[in-house]
Amino acid sequence: MSIGYLVSHYGTQFLSSLLTTWRLTAIGFVFGILLALLLTIVRVSPIKPARMAVEFYVQVFRNIPGLSLLIFIVYGLPALHILLDYEPSVITALIIICSAFGCENLMTGINTVGVGQVEAARSLGLGFTSIVTRIVIPQALRSVVQPMTSLLIAVMLSSSLASQIPVTNLDLTGLVAKINNAEAGGILTFALAAVLYLGTALIIASIGAAIDRKVRIAR
Amino acid sequence: MTSTEQNHAPSPRRHARRVAPPTTQDALFEVSGPRARRWIHVGTVISVLVILGLLYVIYQQFALSGQLDAQYWSFFGAWTTWTFIGSGLLGTLSVAVTAGILAIVVGLLLMSGRVSSFAPLRWLSTAIIEVARGVPSLLFIYFLFLVLPTWGITISTYWMITIPISFNAAGVLAEVFRSGVNAVPNGQSEAATSLGLSRGQAFRSVILPQAIRYVIPTLVTQLVVVVKDTTFGYVVTYPEMMQNAKVLISNYNSLVPVYVVTAVIYIVINYLLSRLARYISRRTGAKIVVS
Repeated sequence: MSIGYLVSHYGTQFLSSLLTTWRLTAIGFVFGILLALLLTIVRVSPIKPARMAVEFYVQVFRNIPGLSLLIFIVYGLPALHILLDYEPSVITALIIICSAFGCENLMTGINTVGVGQVEAARSLGLGFTSIVTRIVIPQALRSVVQPMTSLLIAVMLSSSLASQIPVTNLDLTGLVAKINNAEAGGILTFALAAVLYLGTALIIASIGAAIDRKVRIAR
Repeated sequence: MTSTEQNHAPSPRRHARRVAPPTTQDALFEVSGPRARRWIHVGTVISVLVILGLLYVIYQQFALSGQLDAQYWSFFGAWTTWTFIGSGLLGTLSVAVTAGILAIVVGLLLMSGRVSSFAPLRWLSTAIIEVARGVPSLLFIYFLFLVLPTWGITISTYWMITIPISFNAAGVLAEVFRSGVNAVPNGQSEAATSLGLSRGQAFRSVILPQAIRYVIPTLVTQLVVVVKDTTFGYVVTYPEMMQNAKVLISNYNSLVPVYVVTAVIYIVINYLLSRLARYISRRTGAKIVVS
């Protein structure tokens, strides 16, 4: 298979698969982070049972293999009368896993803000809400840019799990597997997909590094 | 944590018993007064109710769909079921251990290339590391699974997953090792060279041993990723636990229980590995690098 043949026959499919990979990644990450924020709020709350429940959630979904979770959502949940379409299943799995890791990152971020800062703020007369929203969260968010960038790349890599279930819009890995099952696509199809993944990862990494340079607090 | 406290409310017991230094997460809340304590009590009750409600909904969902029926679970009483899951687990562990060792060796080589003073080697190593970290292991697995046979090369399904998993992990570990090397103070290599060691000797016998000690906890956390990736045996039908689960399901027509049981086994293994990493980190003072 030559490059010309590959581009003319599969060019548009590669493009739409790239967009699918991007879509899965973006939705999974954005909602994953929003959920992570919610979880983190509960995880620092003084209500112990709620905190323990979130802790449990985070430990379970940090440690479950993505494939196990996805297969359970796709084939297990229907047996429990919960039916999700294939693509929403992939997105759900990505959101759940992303939220667990995101929550962990945010907790690390919160704990990088010195205890002294909280005590200083309190002695200045700031209330709990002001302390959290004006002292802790801004600094915590600044310190988690790098791990969140890595998390976004990890979500992108995990979106390749979509190739394991019969989705309508194939992601990059799914497309390459399909092409190679139909004809001998050879190394070129894989190289193209690898370049697209790698390019995406490098773009994410460089944007993340730029943001990090801008907001990082030198300690 | 409570040192700035003005009122004389008794310190909650969880604070009193804590020996580790306070974390910011704990410092967020002052020792609460009577009104706040009342709210916390109310919140506690509500959250317990919500959690119980959720558990009940999950139970209902299982019960109503008949997934708790004995026919779906009874085969877990059979010894053969567990030996089959156990043999899958052995497959999983065998891939994980081999891939882990390979990843450490290749990761060290890649890192050495990346910090080399010979530019072409540095570029090549950097490129390999980026590819290993930026391309999903599933894509590599499909490459070995679908393309190699067309070239007349046959490898076992064991290597079809072990090679890609270790390649991906090697890319990550190379960067982990590099962060370890960077963490070794500069004076160490200066001292080594002033003692007459060559740059390579200093790297091998002074820098590297210290760097590795810094990254041991991170290596253990990366093992979690390796264990997760072994589930891709499912793709190439290598008999690891996920693949064996698939076989069990088709034999006993029992989907949910098998997936739940295997998922729990994975979670427990990985949780223990994470705990081990944190334990080593606490004991040695070496930080876990998030990568």
